[in-house]
Amino acid sequence: MARRRTARQPALPTVLVLPAAALLLLALGYPLARQVVLSLQEFGLAQQFGRPPEWVGLGNYRALVGDSYLWAVVLRTVAFCFVNAALTMGIGVGIALLMTRMSRWVRIAVQSGLLLTWATPVVAAMIVWQFLFDTQYGVVNSLLTTLGADYDGHAWLAEPLSFFTVATMVVVWMSVPFVVFTTYAALTQVSDDVVEAAEIDGAGAWQRFVHVVLPTVRPVLLVVLLLQVIWDLRVFTQIYTLQKAGGITRDTNLLGTYIYTLGIKGGDFGTAAAAAMFMLLLTVVLTAPYIRIMFRQEET
Amino acid sequence: MVRNKRLLAIAAIAALLSVTSACGSDDKESATSGGPEEADMVVWLNGADTPQAARDWLKETFEKEHPGSTLTIEEQEWDGLVERLTTALSSEDQTPDVVEVGNTQAPTFTTAGAFSDLTDDLEELGGDDLLPGFVEGATVDGRTYAVPYYAGSTYVFYRKDLFDKAGLEVPRTMDEFVATATALKAANPQDDFSGYWLPGQDWRDGAAFLWDAGGDFAAPDGDGWKGTLSTPESIEGLTTFQTLFEDASGAPADANEADPVTPFCAGKIGMMSRPGWVMGLLTDPEAGCPDLAEKVGVFALPGSDGEPAPVLLGGSDIAVAAQTPNQDLARDIVALMLSDEYQGILAENGLTPARQSLTSLLGDDEFAQATIEAASNAKLTPAAANWATVEGTRILEDLFSQIAQGGDVEELAAEADERITAELN
Repeated sequence: MARRRTARQPALPTVLVLPAAALLLLALGYPLARQVVLSLQEFGLAQQFGRPPEWVGLGNYRALVGDSYLWAVVLRTVAFCFVNAALTMGIGVGIALLMTRMSRWVRIAVQSGLLLTWATPVVAAMIVWQFLFDTQYGVVNSLLTTLGADYDGHAWLAEPLSFFTVATMVVVWMSVPFVVFTTYAALTQVSDDVVEAAEIDGAGAWQRFVHVVLPTVRPVLLVVLLLQVIWDLRVFTQIYTLQKAGGITRDTNLLGTYIYTLGIKGGDFGTAAAAAMFMLLLTVVLTAPYIRIMFRQEET
Repeated sequence: MVRNKRLLAIAAIAALLSVTSACGSDDKESATSGGPEEADMVVWLNGADTPQAARDWLKETFEKEHPGSTLTIEEQEWDGLVERLTTALSSEDQTPDVVEVGNTQAPTFTTAGAFSDLTDDLEELGGDDLLPGFVEGATVDGRTYAVPYYAGSTYVFYRKDLFDKAGLEVPRTMDEFVATATALKAANPQDDFSGYWLPGQDWRDGAAFLWDAGGDFAAPDGDGWKGTLSTPESIEGLTTFQTLFEDASGAPADANEADPVTPFCAGKIGMMSRPGWVMGLLTDPEAGCPDLAEKVGVFALPGSDGEPAPVLLGGSDIAVAAQTPNQDLARDIVALMLSDEYQGILAENGLTPARQSLTSLLGDDEFAQATIEAASNAKLTPAAANWATVEGTRILEDLFSQIAQGGDVEELAAEADERITAELN
């Protein structure tokens, strides 16, 4: 029987949470409300400089839904997000498991490398990646050519598929450290006694991993996966930079860059806001299952 | 659950950290509508076009004439300029005071009300002496919102020594030009050597071939505009571009024209279309290669009829940001930038001055001649109000790059037409 501790709740926790909640409301609530309003208006460059906007109801949405290009971009975005989140999780968890078996010095070396990757500013990293894959002076082309393959002057970013391969490498490279650190931290919490007991009971390495280790770190993995899906869904900087370096913009737009193209580049902020609502919806739809699982875990 | 509380705490800390400090402006306010008498002024200049001597002169002169004020020049990249102007100009706190904007990009901002009305200052700034095409381009309903800064069309730089070695002469017609470029490439058969350097995304230089064949990007259609890249004339021009790229260029199909210096100084370029000020970069002892630059000759790209080909009338406007509180000071800066001294420095560096009476300052060497000849038949991009969004959304970079990659010209042109029509109306 639970003790009736909840009868008089102290006010302190509520007070402590208030500033954060107020900030969240200000930092997220205002832009969100503004976005909804914007998506119902014809809002172009002239409005940006003070002309009153015109209400168009759902006109922006109608124009978007009727354009098959939006759906192509949505599909591309979802596919890119899944592939990247899956690869990041797979590689990240793999390295984390490996780290539990490493000797101390090797582990410190690996951790330092990962930390540096994590700490590199995106734009600085992108300059290095662009140089690696440059058509004319790129290191990758030069290496492959030295090895005997004919990659002299190969344009990596010209074809959409090859463009996204490079983009995936960059995105995964940047996100793996976070997964490794979080997963490794969780793995150190797995009780040695339990694992040993399972071993004595005759469980093989794979069985121990699936039935003992995995359930213990599951909550952490779920949170990390959730974050990963959200991050890969709204990936922007990497795609934007690679597009400028040579990708065909129209064939390589993901939702993030598409919204940017519509709004900031194309000066049509109303339609851009409507497209951003799609992105919000997509995020909610894709992450809802995880959030539900997470809540269910909290209850038990 | 403990973990739950910890998560909450982390969220709270993250929220607190994410509050960014707003940067306030400390300019002294005054009651007059023209803004304060002293302020820290910010001027946006784009790319390496404006020579350092001109920048130094502007800063010194302005600060001497306005004690207490300062002038900072912030250099912006041409690439992505429309986006940066769109965001910066609309905020009173963030806006630069004076901006340089490409002449073809100006209409988008002038029609949106992003620039201050300069009509009343026009007479003082040069009046009819100002380059007419530029003033027209920046005029909406009889009011002028930007003034010319400089003009500069590209002309052809060529390596005299390579021409001699291959036994080639300066071409006089478009056909001869294509043949010369191809022959030069054949005489220097490395993969990355360019008989004529033509990076795939370079639609601004590609435009000359489109226009020479009688084509264009768009034409007025009823009340609006229509893409015209798939007319037979346009297709012919785009095909010439493709041929040149395939047979004569060693530049990547997915690169832009921002850096001609590296390949030129590596000896990989026989001919290239560049604005006159690029010569300054080539002769620079540190960034350039003076020994190769000595072997450069120049000529205006010839058209099919033997006259100079219609190249893009390049150049810049300057404008005062409508949102800046320092209106009077900003206008003083614009006046300085159109003065004889400042424009003289630009002319010495191969940029055509904004005032016609100063053209003689260009001198009379072969560079001056090529500049004047190239400008004689230069053309502007379509005068549609939304043209800058066509540039901003990279429709033309996509098109030319895909053509350079060997795509089907007719199909690609038809697609581009649809997108241009959609952006312009």
